[in-house]
Amino acid sequence: MRHAGHFVRLLALVAIAMVGFLFVRSQVIPKDFGVKGHYRLSAVAEEAAREPRHLGSEACAECHDDISAEWTAGKHTTPQCENCHGPGLMHVKKVSDDSTAGYSDKILTQYETAINRSTGMHECRWCHLKTFERPSTLKSIASVEKHVVQHKGTFTPETKCIDCHNPHTAAVK
Amino acid sequence: MHRLSQPAHGGSQVTSISQPDDVSRRRFLETVAKTGGQSFLFGSLFVNTALLRLPQAGHDAKSRAETEIGKGVIYGFVVDTTKCIGCGSCVRACRAENDVPDGYNRTWVEQYTFYPDGEVFVNSPSGGEDGFADPLPTRNVPSGAEQAPMRGFFVPKLCNHCIDTPCIQVCPVGASFKTDEGVVLVDHEHCVGCGYCVQACPFGSRFIDPRTHTAGKCTWCHHRVTKGLLPACVVSCPADARIFGNVSDPESTISRILATNRVQVLKSYLGTRPRTRYIGLDSEVI
Repeated sequence: MRHAGHFVRLLALVAIAMVGFLFVRSQVIPKDFGVKGHYRLSAVAEEAAREPRHLGSEACAECHDDISAEWTAGKHTTPQCENCHGPGLMHVKKVSDDSTAGYSDKILTQYETAINRSTGMHECRWCHLKTFERPSTLKSIASVEKHVVQHKGTFTPETKCIDCHNPHTAAVK
Repeated sequence: MHRLSQPAHGGSQVTSISQPDDVSRRRFLETVAKTGGQSFLFGSLFVNTALLRLPQAGHDAKSRAETEIGKGVIYGFVVDTTKCIGCGSCVRACRAENDVPDGYNRTWVEQYTFYPDGEVFVNSPSGGEDGFADPLPTRNVPSGAEQAPMRGFFVPKLCNHCIDTPCIQVCPVGASFKTDEGVVLVDHEHCVGCGYCVQACPFGSRFIDPRTHTAGKCTWCHHRVTKGLLPACVVSCPADARIFGNVSDPESTISRILATNRVQVLKSYLGTRPRTRYIGLDSEVI
């Protein structure tokens, strides 16, 4: 038994290491980890708690009831308000708190054009230009193709679609 | 410890085994560490193999009714490629709704163009964010002549929210998970940004956010759908090419669409069982 002391010391070290490991483990792993699976359960609630930014055209109508009524009665109802004007929450935060936190410059400038009516044809082209892949059964696209050909001579590079068309109803002004 | 007697005629044939007196503390600890480490490795290998739940054979053959109908709320997504006009509204809405960093996309639109000589070109400039309003793409064939495209279509892409997800399997810290509704999410508090999931996803649906250094991906707008709203891309689609709903409810719009259409999934041969289904998918779509 001359070497028994080696084992005792080794076992003591192993025991200390195990206790230390279990302690660190209990401190590091979140309490709700593994409740439903190999993940932190409260992460689901955290993700769900994010604030929706697109509020829907109904929310826009609460303040802009005149434009909403015009839009509803018109022929341009497939795109929603926020398609061109950007997320409603961004608008609300900007107007009420003068805050644009959480929105990248790209988003802020992209929708500024539509609000300021400085747009040319770019935003209209997103949907209306006849491209090779677009189903020709869509009347709005087919008519624009014909329209551009018909009016070719009168269009200048500065011509804006909204010079003639009301973007909310698509009707000629 | 047992002590062997020393041979009288010297140590020429004596091996190290027969000389326990030479076992130093250092060698003893080395041997303990080696054998201990080996047995631990073999042990953990056995435990892992035994506990690993491998997909059972015949899994894919189960019908939708068996797996989804009447199971509470299980979300599903249908993309009707025959309706998509490639306007990019979904991409812009997604970026604004989810604060997606520039140069990355949670959803994007691909433009497929077929040429008469059988070549197929796939294009997705900025994920289709600025539309595809450019003139018809022409292509120089080897003879030098320009070749006009034969046919084409748009395919919107997003996370497939697979049932058998490769991305969750590879996460080393449990930061990727699936909710009860079948939505694959990322725990941004827990993610260490190693990027294994980005490489594991066969659909390219994930990226590492350069600002937070955590994995970013489509959540099917989990924060909206849990509040009774539709995902931002679905709301903004002017062509009704995107349909979202509860596939567990046989009366829901998406269930009726699934019941009356021939739907496909992307890369079905990989067996990830995507929950995002496609109408009008060509075999060339990858």
